[in-house]
Amino acid sequence: MKYFLRKLGLYAFIAWAAITLNFLIPRLMPGDPVGLLVNKLHGNIDPNAIAALKKAFGITNAPMINQYWDYLVNLSHGDLGVSLTYYPVPVSDVITSALPWTLGLVGITTIISFFVGTALGIWLSWRRGTWTDSIVPAMTFFSAVPYFWLALVLVLIFGVTLGWVPLSGAYDTGTTPGVNAPFIGSILQHAVLPAVTIVLASFAGWILGMRNMMMTTLGEDYVSMAEAKGLRTRTVMVRYAARNAILPSVTSFALALGSVVGGSILTEVIFNYPGVGYTLFLAVQSQDFPLMQGLFLIISLTVIVANLLADIIYIFLDPRTRSEG
Amino acid sequence: MKITSLWPKSGKVRAGLIIVIFFIALALFGPLIAHYSPEATGSDVLSPPTLKHWLGTTQTGEDIFSQFVNGARLSMLVGLFVAVFSNIFAVVVGMIGGYFRGVTDAGMYIITSVFLIIPGLPLLIVLTAYIPSRGLLSIAIVIAVTSWAGTARVLRAQTLSLRKRDFVEAARATGESRWRIIFAEIIPSEVPLIASGFLFMVIGGILAEAGLSFLGLGSLTTVSWGSMLYFAESGQAFLYGAWWWFVPPGLAIAVIGAGLALINFGIDEYADPRLRTGRKLKKSDRRGTRALEGGMTSLRTSLADEPEAVGDPTIDARAALNDEYERAAAVIRPPRRLPGETILDIRHVRVDYPTAHGTVHGVRDVSLVLRRGEILGLAGESGSGKSTLTNTVARLLRAPAQVIGGEVLYSRPGQLPVDVLKFSAEELRRFRWAELSVVFQSAMNALNPVISIWGQFDDVLRVHRPSMKKSERLALAKDMLVRVGIDGDRVHSYPHELSGGMKQRVAIAIALVLNPDIIIMDEPTTALDLLVQREVIEQIMKLRDDFGFAVVFTTHDLALLLEISDSIAVMQAGRLVEYGPAEAIQTEAAHPYTRALLDSLAELGARL
Repeated sequence: MKYFLRKLGLYAFIAWAAITLNFLIPRLMPGDPVGLLVNKLHGNIDPNAIAALKKAFGITNAPMINQYWDYLVNLSHGDLGVSLTYYPVPVSDVITSALPWTLGLVGITTIISFFVGTALGIWLSWRRGTWTDSIVPAMTFFSAVPYFWLALVLVLIFGVTLGWVPLSGAYDTGTTPGVNAPFIGSILQHAVLPAVTIVLASFAGWILGMRNMMMTTLGEDYVSMAEAKGLRTRTVMVRYAARNAILPSVTSFALALGSVVGGSILTEVIFNYPGVGYTLFLAVQSQDFPLMQGLFLIISLTVIVANLLADIIYIFLDPRTRSEG
Repeated sequence: MKITSLWPKSGKVRAGLIIVIFFIALALFGPLIAHYSPEATGSDVLSPPTLKHWLGTTQTGEDIFSQFVNGARLSMLVGLFVAVFSNIFAVVVGMIGGYFRGVTDAGMYIITSVFLIIPGLPLLIVLTAYIPSRGLLSIAIVIAVTSWAGTARVLRAQTLSLRKRDFVEAARATGESRWRIIFAEIIPSEVPLIASGFLFMVIGGILAEAGLSFLGLGSLTTVSWGSMLYFAESGQAFLYGAWWWFVPPGLAIAVIGAGLALINFGIDEYADPRLRTGRKLKKSDRRGTRALEGGMTSLRTSLADEPEAVGDPTIDARAALNDEYERAAAVIRPPRRLPGETILDIRHVRVDYPTAHGTVHGVRDVSLVLRRGEILGLAGESGSGKSTLTNTVARLLRAPAQVIGGEVLYSRPGQLPVDVLKFSAEELRRFRWAELSVVFQSAMNALNPVISIWGQFDDVLRVHRPSMKKSERLALAKDMLVRVGIDGDRVHSYPHELSGGMKQRVAIAIALVLNPDIIIMDEPTTALDLLVQREVIEQIMKLRDDFGFAVVFTTHDLALLLEISDSIAVMQAGRLVEYGPAEAIQTEAAHPYTRALLDSLAELGARL
C-alpha cells in the first residue's frame, strides 16, 4: 500500500510537471507564438486580432503567477482554449474526436506487440543454444528500423503495388459511421497497415528485453529447484522463470511507451490516420499553437496514466511490493 | 598489443563493427567520391539507379547518392552530438543521485522520472515548433535535452548497488574524498553501462532527427537522411514507385541502428556472461562457473606436471601444495557396515568443462556408495567439484559441463538398479523429487519470490500426486511445515515474509513432501548464522530418524560433517582424495589434504 501511495504521489508530481511544462514552453521558448503567426501573415493582421490571439493563448501582461493561476483554473474546467485552424471549435472538442482513434490503434497494437514480443522472448530463451539464437541479431534490425520508413515501405508494397489495403484515412467516407458491418469492416481494413507497422517496429524491443531477463533468471536457484522438483518444462519456464523475468519488462514500460507513442505519431501522419498524432502534425504545420499545446498535454497525461496502470499491475505481479512498509 | 587481439571474437560484435566502420567511412569519404552537389538539380528527373546516378535521382533531378552520403555525415553527426551531451548529463545526474542519496537523490529521481515518462517525440515536436529558425545545432540540442533520462535511471541504480560493494566501502573507510571515489572507483565499474547507453543514444539521436525532419520540423535546408525522406514523401515518391529515393536513407538508419545494437551485445555479454549464445564456454551459467573455478584449479595442477610449466614463476606455495596433494594416492576405506542396502551407487563419474583454454576436469573418476538412511558427508573447498558431482546425480548440470563417463545406479526396493544418467526425459521427471530431492545452498534464492509457499508445495503435489484433492494437498503442506517447526498457517506467506532460517526450513519441508529416498543438501546451512545453523541441523537429524531418507550433505565445514555423518568423502580439485567411515576420517586420516583440513580445525579448536 505504501508502495502504491508512493507511486501515486510520483505520478501526481509528474502530471503536475507536464501541466506546468505545457504552461512554460510557449512563454520561455525564444519564439513568441503570436509573433510567429504575425510573421507568417507578413504583418497583414489587425492589431485587434493580435490582442485577441494573445488572449486566446492566455498571454497577457499580467504577472506570470496570475497567468499560471488562470491557466490552472481553465484547465480544471477542461478548457484548453480555442483552436485556430478549426476556429471557433474548442481545442478539447478537436482532441475528443481524435483521441478514440489513437487509443484504439496504439492501445491495441501496444498490447499485441508486448504479448507477442514477450512470448517470443521466452521461447527464444527456452531454445538457447539452438539455431534460433541466430534470430536474435536479426531482431536488432527491427528494433532500430524507423517507424515511418517501415510504414512507407509497407504502403509501397501492399497499398500501391498490390492494392490490398487503402492508403489513408481511418474509414471509407462512403460508409455511415455507426455500429454497422460496412463501417466496422472499413475501420478494420484501414487499421491493418498502420497496426502492422507499429507492431513490427516495436515488438523487437520486447523480445530482446525479455530474452535478456530470461537468460539471467534461468541461472537462478529457484529455477534449478523447480527443475529438480520434476515439474513439467512448461511450468518451469512459465511459472518460475518467465513469471520473474517479466517484472523488469513491466517496469520498463515507461521507456518503451514513449517511443511507441512517438512512433505512432509518425505512423498516423503517413496514413493520414485521424488520431492525436496526425492532428498534432497538422497543428504544428498550421501553427495552431493552442491545439498543439492541448494535444501535448493530453498525450503526456495518457502516457502517465498508462504508466500508473503498469505499476498497479506490477503490484499484483510482485508480492514484495504489497507488504513493504 | 597486437591488432588481432583488439579484434573481437564474437561474430555479432564483428558484424556490428563492420557496419559502423563502413558508415563512418561513407560519411568521411563519401562526399569525395560523389560527383554532384547534394542540392544541384538536373535534367534527369526520377531516374532509377544508373551508372551516372548510382542511386537514381529525385523529382527535381538531384543525385540521390550525393544526398545519401551527405545525409550520412549530418545524421551521424547529430547522433554523435546527442549521445555525447546527453550521456554526460545522464552520468552526472545518475551518479550524483545514486552516490549522495538523500534529498539530492530524491530530487534527481523525480526530475529523471518526469523526463522518462513524458513522451519524447511529442515534447520534441512542441519544442521545435517554437524555435524561430531551426538549424541542425538547435535540433540536436533539443534532442539531447529529451533523451538522457533512461541512461540516468540505469546508472543511478548501478551506483546505488556499487556504493555498498566492498571496494567502495573500503575506499570510504580509508578516507578518500567523495569525488575521488566517484571518478576512481565508481565510474570505471560503470563503463559497460555508459558505453551501452552511448550506443543507444546515437541510435536514438539519429532516429529522432530523422523523425523530426520527416515531419518537416527539422532543418530542411540541410540534407540529412530525415529530410531526404521528407522530400521523398512530399514528392510522393512511393506513388511513382521511386523506391530508390526513400529506401536507401531508411534502410541505412535501420542497418546502422542494428550495427550499434550488435556492438552492444558484445558489451552486454562482457558485463554478464550468462547472456552469451553459441558454442563452448559461452553458455556457462552460475553453477557452471562456480564449478569451473574448481576445474581451473585442477587444470593448473595438471599443467604443473608438464615440464614447460614448471619454470612458470606463478607457481607459488599453494600450487606446490596442490601438487603434493595430487601425487598422494587417494585413500579409500571400505565403508562401515550399515544395516541398509545400497540405494545409490556412483561409479567412476567423470565430468568435463570444455573451455576456450582447453578442457578442464570438474569431476575426475569419483565412485561413492550411499545406503538407505545413511548420511554421507561430502567435504571440500568451493570449487573442489562437490557441487558438480551432486548436480550430476540430480541431473542438474548445465552446459558446458558434460558427463563423459561413469554411471549413477539407483536401486528401488526389490528391483534391479537403474542408471540415473540414462533416464529419458519423462523417467527423469518422475524420478525427481519423488525419489531424490534437493535442498539448495541458499534458500533466499531457492524459493520463487513471487509465488506463495503453498503454491510451491502445490505444484509438486499436483504433478506427482494427481489423484490428491486440494484439501488433502493443503493439509499435507501445513503438516510438513509443522514438522519443520513452522506454524501451518504460514503456508500462505510469500518467501520475503520469512526469516532466512525459516526459508531454509521451508525448503527442507518442500524437499520432504513426497517422502523421497534421497535428499541432496548442497551446503544447506552455510548462509545461516551459527545458532540458526545448529537448529536446522538438529531438525534435519530428527526428520531423518522419522522419515528414514538418506542424505548427501555437502559443505566445506569438516567439523560439522564429523559430527553428523555416517561416512565422509573428501574432494579436492575434482578428485576423491579420501573416503570412509566418519570415525576413521577423524582418527586416522591418511591423505595430506584431509590432514591439512583436520589440522586447521585442531588449531581453531586450540585457540578457542
